[in-house]
Amino acid sequence: MEELLQTQTLVIILLLVVSLVAIAVRRLRLPYTVALVLVGLAIAFLQPVAVEVTPELILALLIPPLVFEAAFQVDFALLRANLVPILAMAVPGVLLTTFIVGGIVTASVGVPFAAAAAFGALIAATDPVAVVAVFRTLGVPRRLAVAVEGESLFNDGTAIVIYNIAVGAALTGLFDPVAGVLDFLVVSLGGLAIGLILGWMVAQVIARIDDPLIEVTLTTVLAFGAYLAAERIHVSGVLAVVAAGLVSGNVGLRGMSPSTKIMLENFWEYVAFLANSLVFLLIGLRVNVPLLLADLWPIAVAVLAVLIARAVAVYGLSWLAYRLGSRVPKNWRHVFFWGGLRGAIALALALGLPGALADREMLLAMTFGVVLFTLLAQGTTIQFLLRRLGLVGASEGHLEREIRWGRLYMTQAGQRRLLALNTEGLLTGDIWAGISEEYRLTNQQLTADVDLLYAQYPELEREVVLQTRREALKAERSALRDALVRGWLSGQVHHTLAQEVDRRLEAVRLIEETAFGSQASTADANSGELNSGMRI
Amino acid sequence: MKRIVCATRGGAASRAVQERAISLAAEHSAELVFLYVSDSCSCGAMSDDLAQVVEDELRRIGRSLLHIAHVRANEQGVEADMVAKCGPVRQTILDFVAETQADALVIGAPRTDTGAQEFGGDSLPVFAKQVTEETGAEVFIV
Repeated sequence: MEELLQTQTLVIILLLVVSLVAIAVRRLRLPYTVALVLVGLAIAFLQPVAVEVTPELILALLIPPLVFEAAFQVDFALLRANLVPILAMAVPGVLLTTFIVGGIVTASVGVPFAAAAAFGALIAATDPVAVVAVFRTLGVPRRLAVAVEGESLFNDGTAIVIYNIAVGAALTGLFDPVAGVLDFLVVSLGGLAIGLILGWMVAQVIARIDDPLIEVTLTTVLAFGAYLAAERIHVSGVLAVVAAGLVSGNVGLRGMSPSTKIMLENFWEYVAFLANSLVFLLIGLRVNVPLLLADLWPIAVAVLAVLIARAVAVYGLSWLAYRLGSRVPKNWRHVFFWGGLRGAIALALALGLPGALADREMLLAMTFGVVLFTLLAQGTTIQFLLRRLGLVGASEGHLEREIRWGRLYMTQAGQRRLLALNTEGLLTGDIWAGISEEYRLTNQQLTADVDLLYAQYPELEREVVLQTRREALKAERSALRDALVRGWLSGQVHHTLAQEVDRRLEAVRLIEETAFGSQASTADANSGELNSGMRI
Repeated sequence: MKRIVCATRGGAASRAVQERAISLAAEHSAELVFLYVSDSCSCGAMSDDLAQVVEDELRRIGRSLLHIAHVRANEQGVEADMVAKCGPVRQTILDFVAETQADALVIGAPRTDTGAQEFGGDSLPVFAKQVTEETGAEVFIV
């Protein structure tokens, strides 16, 4: 009982720290995950906390929701459009990293090659959470974000499979390349198959019921169940979750009502936020700074090896993808290279290295060192690279619009207050006339400034139209609830109308996501006859 | 030039395209029609039920954008018609130009590389040539 209370207290404290960091980071220009690691490091340095971070805790409890949510959000059409570079990075890319990092670490630090290869495999798993968060803030093209996320989703699975093979070879001293390749195929494809089957089954059940609570629960069962079922039959749990998430997000969603979709997205967003926050805080808490300092040379070698391997994999495989007919833009390649951060999977696998493995503690220190370097050096500078490469969206126009809207909003609030003072009789005569005229003219000028901005950035115009539509629909939804509370609408009518509004909100979201329906590739001549035409 | 069709969808080129069409209409005292084409297929695979709502919302957004263009034309003393259509973008524009026997089509070239353009690469000049060959209308690419 006492132990349970202690654990509960610790979890609550961790959640409180997470919340405080999330609030503080709003004012800092620092990725949230990086801030969590820094806070974890500071806590561990000032007041060490007894937190046991086991590989099982990360792999079985925190990774499934993170991977499921990421896969759930990926648009299959965009994933398919980037499939060649994603798979190139996820399979040959992980193999290249394993061998290059393994070779450099063996040659420079003297770790036996099989153990060094296990390190190479575990460090090949990328974790783009910090990078993707920056992408969202800066408005980087969605296709690039999907490519980076897609690579991470699949290379997590392949890295774990190769890691297991390398660890087996390191412990037994035996390695059969043919058996290794077969093992890799069985574990990877087996995991994907399990995820696809379970994902499809859950999608079928969901399509036959209409109860948001049950449907959300079923996706929770799917996320953790796919991992456990796959691990139980010794195939890749992570790849099973990836496949299950992709099926749920692309096929399963079609059978859901808009209300369920909104609830589901909110639920998984929250769960992923929790899991993600805990993972990065725990990384910070688990770092032993004195031990890292003692292994500074191996860590420096590991960081260099990881950067070299990443460069070879990204630039070499992009060339290969180009030869296969899938062009990866040059500026994207630099983002792939510098955005290849490492995180939870690498850490979990390093913690899971068997005690009997040669140089285990040094490999663990090297993993922490690389994770910290990628998070603190690469994670904090990726936004500068994105700006330099011109991959940041029309942020200048967006920023300027916000500033002009902000000024207009302020001025109008001032005008309303002046009017209230005038109505109350506190502001009258010439003073009222003078001040209100000044405000009227300012308001007029600011309105003209906003209109001028739309002439300068015409693409903002349609965004505003969509944004306004979304706002109006939300107001309609809120009015419905109000009418229900006041007893003007029955529960049944409220439910029907709320579903209608939710469906429209979902439609607006889809339109926004697909850049206002501008995708030529899908608008081919076979897509249908003219549906309708109307003169307004 | 008696009838001008201006294809607009509120993108980065929209303002310049509309201005060019309005000035052409004023110059030739021609009838101006703003055309907005939406294609719900571009939003990916979805249930029939949702596709219908997406189409409806696209049409509603299109009407808003057409009204904005209409106000601009009126401000410059040009009367304009507005037509919103659904369907494959190129074929719908082509059919509309033929159907209305327009003398000119004003259309915008993509301004930004979003990776998902209706008229990316060389496809716009090719489309313009096709419009001229099939309908006889002169195409102005802005």
